[in-house]
Amino acid sequence: MADYKKTIGIEIHTELKTKTKIFSNSINGYGKTANSNVNVIDLGYPGTLPTLNMEVIRLALKAALLLNCEINKEMHFDRKNYFYPDNPKNYQITQFETPIGVNGYVEIEVNGEKKKIRIHDIHIEEDTCKSIHYKNHSFLDFNRAGVPLVEIVTEADMHSAEEAMAYVEKLRELFLYADISDCKIEEGSMRCDVNISVSKTAELGTRAEIKNIGSISNVGRAIEKEAARQINLLESGREVEFATYRYDEKNDQTIIMRVKEAGNDYRYFPEPDIPYVVIDDELIEEVRSTIPMLASVRREKYIEAGISLLNANKIIQNRTLSNYLNKFLDSGIDLVIASNILLGDISAYLNRTDLELDDTKLTDAKFIDVVNKLSSGDLNSKVFKEILDDVMEKEQSLDEIISSKGIKIISDPTALKKIIEEVLAENTTSVNDYKNGNTRAIKYLMGQIMKQTKGSASPELVNKLLEEELSK
Amino acid sequence: MGDKLTREEVLHVARLARINLTEEEIEKYQFQLKKLLDDVDKIKEVKLDSNDKLIAPVDEKTVCREDEAGEMLEPEEIMKNVPVSNGNFVEVPVMINE
Amino acid sequence: MSKYLDLSILEINGLLKEKKIKPLDLVLEAFDRIERNSDLNAFITLDREQAIATAKELEGKEVDNLLFGIPIAVKDNIVTKDLRTTCASHILDNFIPIYDATVVKKIKEKNMIIIGKTNMDEFAMGSTSQTSYFGAPHNPWDHNKVAGGSSGGSAACISARLVPLALGSDTGGSIRQPSSYCGIVGMKPTYGRVSRYGLVAFGSSLDQIGPMTRNVYENALLLNILCGRDDYDLTSSHRDVEDFTRLIGEDIKGMKIAVPNFFVSDIVSAEVLNKLNEVLDLLKKNGATVDYIDIDYIDNAVTLYQIIAMGEASSNLARFDGVRYGYSVENPVGIDELYSRTRGEGFGEEVKRRIMVGSYLLSGENAKTYYTKALQIREAIRKSFLKAFEKYDLIIGPNATTTAYNLGEGLDDPLKTFLDDILVIPVNMAGLPGMNVPMGFGKGHLPIGLQIIGNRFDEAKMYKLAAFVEKELNLELDPREVR
Repeated sequence: MADYKKTIGIEIHTELKTKTKIFSNSINGYGKTANSNVNVIDLGYPGTLPTLNMEVIRLALKAALLLNCEINKEMHFDRKNYFYPDNPKNYQITQFETPIGVNGYVEIEVNGEKKKIRIHDIHIEEDTCKSIHYKNHSFLDFNRAGVPLVEIVTEADMHSAEEAMAYVEKLRELFLYADISDCKIEEGSMRCDVNISVSKTAELGTRAEIKNIGSISNVGRAIEKEAARQINLLESGREVEFATYRYDEKNDQTIIMRVKEAGNDYRYFPEPDIPYVVIDDELIEEVRSTIPMLASVRREKYIEAGISLLNANKIIQNRTLSNYLNKFLDSGIDLVIASNILLGDISAYLNRTDLELDDTKLTDAKFIDVVNKLSSGDLNSKVFKEILDDVMEKEQSLDEIISSKGIKIISDPTALKKIIEEVLAENTTSVNDYKNGNTRAIKYLMGQIMKQTKGSASPELVNKLLEEELSK
Repeated sequence: MGDKLTREEVLHVARLARINLTEEEIEKYQFQLKKLLDDVDKIKEVKLDSNDKLIAPVDEKTVCREDEAGEMLEPEEIMKNVPVSNGNFVEVPVMINE
Repeated sequence: MSKYLDLSILEINGLLKEKKIKPLDLVLEAFDRIERNSDLNAFITLDREQAIATAKELEGKEVDNLLFGIPIAVKDNIVTKDLRTTCASHILDNFIPIYDATVVKKIKEKNMIIIGKTNMDEFAMGSTSQTSYFGAPHNPWDHNKVAGGSSGGSAACISARLVPLALGSDTGGSIRQPSSYCGIVGMKPTYGRVSRYGLVAFGSSLDQIGPMTRNVYENALLLNILCGRDDYDLTSSHRDVEDFTRLIGEDIKGMKIAVPNFFVSDIVSAEVLNKLNEVLDLLKKNGATVDYIDIDYIDNAVTLYQIIAMGEASSNLARFDGVRYGYSVENPVGIDELYSRTRGEGFGEEVKRRIMVGSYLLSGENAKTYYTKALQIREAIRKSFLKAFEKYDLIIGPNATTTAYNLGEGLDDPLKTFLDDILVIPVNMAGLPGMNVPMGFGKGHLPIGLQIIGNRFDEAKMYKLAAFVEKELNLELDPREVR
């Protein structure tokens, strides 16, 4: 059965991170009492009309630019007509004829191989209301009605579960980084529908749509399961039905929801209540300038600066830290040390105090000073730990903090050399042990030197000088 | 063709529009809808020089609103008009599709 | 009983300012007149209690504008907070809106007093107001005749002098045609001039709210306060508010008038044509020029209207489903039954017919064959009108092919209602302003109206011509004086 080829297309709905809804100025927010973030527009009251939230246009445009789409500079909206209780007007305002972006692509990497997934279009639409089902009734909460969404539709360019997962992960990373959406798949702010078919020939098979898959790993599992089910059907001489499924995580299987009617009759027509929206070059440039450096670019730059892949990934996962580190990319400071203290002592401090970097007294100048002093040996990690709270909490400069603590740092190599020579002279046994190949003896010698300097010497500098002395 | 739609055709559009019809209405609409649809068919014959279309007679482009919150309703106010409510929720017969 | 409501707005304003009368006098007189003319069936809902309370509140306020304290009637498809708004439909006969339409807010800000909600065709679908769930209003000139539609109640209550001011709405002639039948002044402003927020949508790209009054000057006064950009209606224009009375009284010498040949073709009755010709002679005598022109595709306007208005309506009226407000059948089995039975029982015959046809015209390939094609022809009509306005100041013709006809006539003909509006529909297609000013009487002393069409946002110029015609003809337009 290995000769069956999977063909996969993905539709992703993502809620946009705005303060208010797309067509009304009620709040876009979760966790509130049912039907409390609602006004007459969200309820589809007679006589109400849509307004249009500029932030939605900005975020959708940002997304379209990230997906390398052509922008529809004169766009309108369309009505998609269907009766359903979660659809307050019984039509959804969406974009059908003039989606904000078309013909884009996203680059993914699977097993070291890069591949472009083509984006058919990205369009703007409104979310439906939420419904809870109990026995023979459904209960409607309109808080979600009118929350802004973008829907991203790929071409059927993926051929494995890995590619599909890589695509969803990539899209998530892009949107998170650009602050377009919080992309919480589990909470439903990002929703994946997967279309999949299998075929032995160049002709595509009948596809099934798996709706609303709840996590990226389930995207992979659902694809494998559905492909296996379809292959099984075909092998036993039966046909795949054009239908909609959902993925049941508990039993690891796809379950049929409804057989698709041939050509859903959505009776699309242009929305007369919203005149043409013009996206001019000025707006495009304004929005483009708000796109932050992407994760993949960050990773490349960090690794170029000598940061380990592990640490680079750790920093990228924390966008605040990463944005902070990026401020110093061209400052000439040692980025390895900078990343180490950000991930180490500074992160620990922030966790302990429940503060954000912005809330502390760590100025850019102070941070540069810390990194440079650590690098030159004018400060050592032990002392840094001791003065960390002051660095983070006091207005004072680093020098002021160090001197006010009565800490003296010996960074004069001549002075240190003298102490080292004295220690070596007093510990000839250890020196000989080292020279005879017992490298651990150097640790003892280090300890003795640090004792003599009362911890005021930079361990890195001492280590360097010591090795020089011993190799004489 | 004839001068009336079939019963099935009337029932199909009634279904699209979610309108329940009595037997008497079905019969009446078979003739009336046919008459209306024949009339709008005239449009097929019209020849045009341009494909430009007019969605709404508005010269100005959309001016969007900034992302600022306005007033919202209290759930109690909403429920005053709701035919069947349950606490803060609007209640309907179960949605069969999902 | 007093007769203050026979006075002009200016005269009433003077009395209010001099404190010779109170707003309450006007309100009580209005309700008295309505009561004595209840057989006209002009109103669906009266708001006596609130109107009296408002009138009393106004006693402590300064009379700060010409419309202060004046009773006004509002068509029942314009939502009024806490006051039942039915659209003359069973499906909304228990509906109490929880917000005010923008025009209603404006009326209240100017301290006008809303007397009640006027009768109309169900959801404004009709040309006689006979599709109302509450029965048809009658024509004050002859109670056996229709008042026209869909703003029939507003036209009837102005004509019968029950109140001096009313609001109507016009999707395909619904202000102008009943104004013509009832002998009053009615203006459908430029699309975008008046906010549609709170007007229950019928054909969204066609609908416009407008003033209906006894004379031209008062019409312009009311439009003054209705218009202006509303951020709640994206199709409302940013144009500055202007004084529409400013050209009234100027002479018409040098005005270039055009008459579309379609407006004087054999679809128009002889008595209407004769009146129009008399007016054309009058204009020429006073220094205006009159040319006959062709507007491309104007003869297709009714078909476009059927496709666009019914298509939009099928979508706009989908929200009436028994879930969030309005009529809802009891104990439905399943969601589909809730929808189908609520809508089947809640909507009347004409509305159901139009929703079904509209749904059909938008379904599948029909959207291209009919709807897209209609939008293309619509653009061609608009362009042709705009081209005419490069050369001419105004376009005129009749508003209706005949005078008001008998109640009960043509109810079973699904096409008649559209053909009644054949002369008024083209204006909505192009989004232009159009108005009615009475130009005489036909058989049975039934009013005949002149339609004046302006370029976009050229209402002031239309009022100038209308005021000239009104003054020169000096018709007796109060049916009580004639009957």
